[in-house]
Amino acid sequence: MKKAPLVAIPLVLFLLLVVFLFKGLFSDPRELDSQVKDKTLPPFSLPDLMEPNTTYTPEDLKGQVTILNVWGVWCVTCAVEMPYLTQLRNEQDVHIVGLYFDQDLDPDFGTKTLSRVQQEVTNMLSRYGNPYAYNIFDVYRDTSLDLGVTGAPEHFVIDARGIIRMHHIGDINERVWRNKVGPLYRKLVAESRNDVSESLPEVANE
Amino acid sequence: MSTSALSKKYSFNFLSALIVLLSVMLMSFDVSAAEDKFTFDSDTQRASFLRLTAELRCPMCQNQNIADSDAMIAHDMRRKVYSLLKQGKSEQEVIDYMKARYGDFVHYQPPVTAATFWLWAGPVLFIFIALLFVIRKRSVSPPEDMAAKLAKADAMLEQEKE
Repeated sequence: MKKAPLVAIPLVLFLLLVVFLFKGLFSDPRELDSQVKDKTLPPFSLPDLMEPNTTYTPEDLKGQVTILNVWGVWCVTCAVEMPYLTQLRNEQDVHIVGLYFDQDLDPDFGTKTLSRVQQEVTNMLSRYGNPYAYNIFDVYRDTSLDLGVTGAPEHFVIDARGIIRMHHIGDINERVWRNKVGPLYRKLVAESRNDVSESLPEVANE
Repeated sequence: MSTSALSKKYSFNFLSALIVLLSVMLMSFDVSAAEDKFTFDSDTQRASFLRLTAELRCPMCQNQNIADSDAMIAHDMRRKVYSLLKQGKSEQEVIDYMKARYGDFVHYQPPVTAATFWLWAGPVLFIFIALLFVIRKRSVSPPEDMAAKLAKADAMLEQEKE
């Protein structure tokens, strides 16, 4: 009778261990807390991939809800998600901007020419569809580093005021869009419309 | 007899030469690792670079520091660490820079917070409780037991004597 609680101790410890390990089965070690969520984009001034004379700054991503897609031609998963992203652009009018960075282009010892990169991109987009409104070329991969990008593909959902609302690591497929990214995107679009309609009467009054 | 002694001597020399060769090779690797691409202003800067790349964790790979990893992100982070050190940033500033982008995850020394506090307290607490348990058990049971055992032993001795 007196020994009953003592016998229970190993059992309780074992059960705790089971719960701990069971939870571990479903934890994703690659999932990181994004540091940029709910912040504005880090400052940058980067050229357009196709027309290097055009430069973009974070200001250019304001005024419209945007999905910033970090990608490169060397990234296989990017090629896999590209047709679906194109479908999103065509059917739901989703605004997707590419943040392109090249793997082979070593900034310090780079020998790859810009025209070569452009050719590869054109080839890939003509094969899998072009979901992008335009592509920003992160030449030195500094902006990717500032955004806490670990690889490709990664996505940033940016609201109309230029604040990052979600950092999604990995591809966007039908399931991810339906459960995670899509609802937020639609909510933000609705928000931005409300902002516009609220500001409209003021304009009319003036 | 003399030939076997000779061969023994040779084999010993061969072995020691091999050991020396191996250690020289390993040493040279260690030195060249940081020097293939980067040049430093001073030895302390170089030491800082080596320390930081060993302490910062590659956010993409599973449990590798950025000195070890060949992932592109690790290359970029090494380059960033180098340029920040060149700008005269301190080691702590470099760590903070990386933490601001990749979170606490990126540093191999976790900060003490409410959640991580138990990593340090847990083992100490365990030892403390176990010690209490052992002391309590010791102090309660032995005396009478011991006395009984001694009596028994004495009795056995007596029996043997007879």
